[in-house]
Amino acid sequence: MKSFARSVRALASFFWFVGRKARRTKVFVLLGALPVLMSLVIQANRLFTPGTSVDGPAVFSNIVMTFNLQFLILVLALFYGTSVCAEELEGKTLTYLTTRPVPKPAIILGKYFAYAAFLILVVAAGVALSFVVLHIDRLGDAASWLVLLRSLGVLALGLLVYTAFFTLVGTVLKKSVLFGLMFSFGWENIVQYFPGATQKFTIMHYLKSLLPAVSTGGEGSFAFLLFKLEPSPPEAAVVTLAVLTAAFLGLACWIFSRKEYLFED
Amino acid sequence: MTAVIRAEKLSKWYGNVLGLSDVSLEIGPGITGLLGPNGAGKSTLMKLLTGQLKPSIGRVTIHGADVWNNMALFADIGFCPEQDAFYDELTGWEFVTRLLSLYGFSRADAASKAERALHFVELFKDKDRPLRGYSRGMRQRLKIAQTVAHEPGILILDEPLNGLDPLSKRKVIRLIKDFRDAGKTVLVSSHVLPEIEALTRSIVLLHQGKILAQGDIPYIRDLIDKHPHKISVKGSDPRALAASLVAQAAVQNIQFGPEPGTVVFETGDRDVLFGLLPRLIVERGIDIEEITSPDDNLQAVFDYLVGT
Repeated sequence: MKSFARSVRALASFFWFVGRKARRTKVFVLLGALPVLMSLVIQANRLFTPGTSVDGPAVFSNIVMTFNLQFLILVLALFYGTSVCAEELEGKTLTYLTTRPVPKPAIILGKYFAYAAFLILVVAAGVALSFVVLHIDRLGDAASWLVLLRSLGVLALGLLVYTAFFTLVGTVLKKSVLFGLMFSFGWENIVQYFPGATQKFTIMHYLKSLLPAVSTGGEGSFAFLLFKLEPSPPEAAVVTLAVLTAAFLGLACWIFSRKEYLFED
Repeated sequence: MTAVIRAEKLSKWYGNVLGLSDVSLEIGPGITGLLGPNGAGKSTLMKLLTGQLKPSIGRVTIHGADVWNNMALFADIGFCPEQDAFYDELTGWEFVTRLLSLYGFSRADAASKAERALHFVELFKDKDRPLRGYSRGMRQRLKIAQTVAHEPGILILDEPLNGLDPLSKRKVIRLIKDFRDAGKTVLVSSHVLPEIEALTRSIVLLHQGKILAQGDIPYIRDLIDKHPHKISVKGSDPRALAASLVAQAAVQNIQFGPEPGTVVFETGDRDVLFGLLPRLIVERGIDIEEITSPDDNLQAVFDYLVGT
């Protein structure tokens, strides 16, 4: 067990290093910084347009809900999750990993943890900075900081579970990105609005159940996105997300250990 | 020979396509050449030996232990893949040290092993250059560096000379021979006959997923009974020599040329002919420049075996 954990750590460190130097990293860091840019534009507009008022907390909630939760984490998790396996196959570098004395599940887990940590960092940095920009005149308000922490927690959970899901998809399917796009912007973004128990078949349902305005039953300015949301209890939502993450990863490791991957010429 | 690597009745299918069929072989210390045309099954065999593929039928063992999903064995195996694939964002140094970290070496140990390996392949001075700027020869040598950096006892090199210029080829051949001299077990594949000949006399011939023959080149040549052996004699009076041998039962065919002064005998029993030749040469007083076996090389052996 100790040696397995050491292998996972070694691989996570390997891919943290490789991932940091990858070209696409810059693109996704910029994408993660978009909320900051939006916040700056909104605040600049307020400063330079007399008579304009901005409800910072409401705008922040909207950005978290519409951009970060419904778009950014899905895109990031999709591209990084599916690439855990696929980029090793496409780049034909899998050989360098599978011929080392590391268990095959450690390859999946190590790379997953490296990518998930990186994504959480990118998203958290963008969200935290945009929070500061939008709350610049009320940074002493402790309740606002709690909202930030809760939002960060939900986004981090979202990244963990979606990245795990797309890691699984990447180990199974060749056209994993196409499937992932259909899942993210088809299934997840539509079925979550279905009434009754159907919405519970989406991951997004459990993430939204954890957002402050939802679990308190409030009607924020993003209420249109909570249309017909029938939230699950927060504890149940967290447990469900944790179980899903573990299940997706466990299945991905199991498949990766047994499947033979061939490079295409 | 103590077998380090053993394949027993090994077969591998890719769906309905047969990659390898009923291959049994034993490989011991020293260099063994795996020879065959493209698509013969060399890479499939190497992937099975390194645990990247699971046998459909049969068994692969290294030091007596099954290879598939046996990660403990991988610490003693160095594999140089055929494909020109790298983490191109890294430098040569980062590539080797980061892969070494997967063996559990400390940072200091990884650095010292990487330094030794990069010196070995003469890439140390280029270690801080990004891999995408490396030439083909440098990339090939870097693959060898990552193969040997952890000091394995078994080296499996898939087409290590592929695409190299003559100078780089010579360097890599010298490196491989250094491994042999260090007592390591080395399996090298190639589809180019002279490359294998330059490396070793011990070969395994693969064709269409099957082993055609294995052993050293003369031994394999001896296996081909249906093809007569050729013995070429170049001297002062080839016709006199031919006249003296034409009545011998061991001689099946006599041809003159292609070089002036040369006669080529085909025989079903090379030992008998080699016994007769010196005596006749002395008796007839023929001056001899050279006696050679033109088909005692891999090309001829390979052509005979695949029936071309």
